[in-house]
Amino acid sequence: MKHGAYIFLASFLALSASWCGLVLAPQLQLGRQTLSPITGTTDQYPQRRPGLAEAGLQVYRAQGCVTCHSQQTRQTGAVFDVVLNELGTNETAVALALAALKVDWKPADLQALPRDLFRGVDFAAADAAERTLKPTGAKFSIAVRATGPDIERGWGLRGSVAADYLQDQPVLLGAQRLGPDLANIGLRQPDVNWHLNHLYAPASTVQGSTMPPYRFLFEVRPVGLQPSPAALKLPPAFAPPAGYEVVPTDDALALAAYLVSLRASVPLFEAPVTVALPASSAAAPAP
Amino acid sequence: MNAPETNTVQPEAEPKAGAATMPVWLLIALLVIFFYAGLYFDARGGWFNPRLHAPYHSLAQLEQFQPKADDGGIARGRAVYEQLCAVCHGSDGAGKPGQAPPFAGAEWVITDSVGRLIRIPLQGLVGPIKVKGVEWNLAMPAMGASLSDDDLAALLTYMRKSWGNQAGVITPEMVKQVRADTASRTQPWTAAELEKIP
Repeated sequence: MKHGAYIFLASFLALSASWCGLVLAPQLQLGRQTLSPITGTTDQYPQRRPGLAEAGLQVYRAQGCVTCHSQQTRQTGAVFDVVLNELGTNETAVALALAALKVDWKPADLQALPRDLFRGVDFAAADAAERTLKPTGAKFSIAVRATGPDIERGWGLRGSVAADYLQDQPVLLGAQRLGPDLANIGLRQPDVNWHLNHLYAPASTVQGSTMPPYRFLFEVRPVGLQPSPAALKLPPAFAPPAGYEVVPTDDALALAAYLVSLRASVPLFEAPVTVALPASSAAAPAP
Repeated sequence: MNAPETNTVQPEAEPKAGAATMPVWLLIALLVIFFYAGLYFDARGGWFNPRLHAPYHSLAQLEQFQPKADDGGIARGRAVYEQLCAVCHGSDGAGKPGQAPPFAGAEWVITDSVGRLIRIPLQGLVGPIKVKGVEWNLAMPAMGASLSDDDLAALLTYMRKSWGNQAGVITPEMVKQVRADTASRTQPWTAAELEKIP
């Protein structure tokens, strides 16, 4: 060991450099994330999952769902939609503003409000519309919309950001998409029974699904004196033989509850998006 | 037995590392590439800001994309109104006989003495009050604890711009000021007390 000290020093430097890059730098950058307030409510985002869903996260992890499903929606851009809601009192000014903005409109259009003025424009165009319309007293709204292949597939309203994962332990981002992205599966399929049917027989809910069935999370048993209220209601092609019923185990129920709880749609400062706020339930618990 | 063949071919000399100078054009090309990489990172990289995620690359740009509620928080104000106020005062702001006075055209809502208006939801109101020429004698609970300054400002702005009302905006700063001024007050206001406030 003529160069023992050098070998030690070199390997120490190599390992500590990778530790700095993979552990320390992300911790310095993202380690102080906190919950964000949800606009229009007194709640914070993200909220903790219900207990059953927290247990379901461990089932998701144990069954290796993360091997084929990601939980990260990607966003490549953002665009604006400008909608004219009300004319206000000065219709002539609004008409002049619309002419200045080079909107193609007919007088009859102004009677059928709300009307889209611009869809999918950039910030400069939306800003010009705002500046031109504001002095006229007309009421208009400017919505922010995320764009990108994942958004077009309907996998989410906006891109995923670090704050979405604050309550996950561990974070199950996933790296492969043999199945669809699940970051917002609770928005797309809010029904627990859909998920239970899908786990028992994937093709019963999604035609041509390549997902393997997870039948060992269910119990196929003879119907007792009374059929179980928890038994799955399966289409005839997937139903068990007559006199039998399919009952989900605790693991299946927890996994379904976890999948339903996967929603990352709340607008955040770092991921702006306009979500229509239900007028009658401003302080309703956030999904 | 044959004599072992003698190896007459000399082995090639071991290659030796020589001092080769780096071409100048390569050096310049690398410098140019690094320079543009630095410029690109400066413009698009966001300097490791934890709040910046693709496709945004600066806080100023992110600020531009924040959703704008129509007309300065009217949508938010409507949401708060429907949640808290509409049960008694009605979604149309017309009030309900025996429950709550109207807001549409009410002098208490469109008043320029915004201090009076802001105090009513903050600490509540009891006793007789005259609204649009009609005498009411009811009790309104305090809402101040459950409403943030932003929410209360959006709510009052919504009330002052809806149902035919056309009064000025209430800003969160105004609400904050009044909330600080009345921090010690725990009792609901009466109309007589409010009228003394400028």
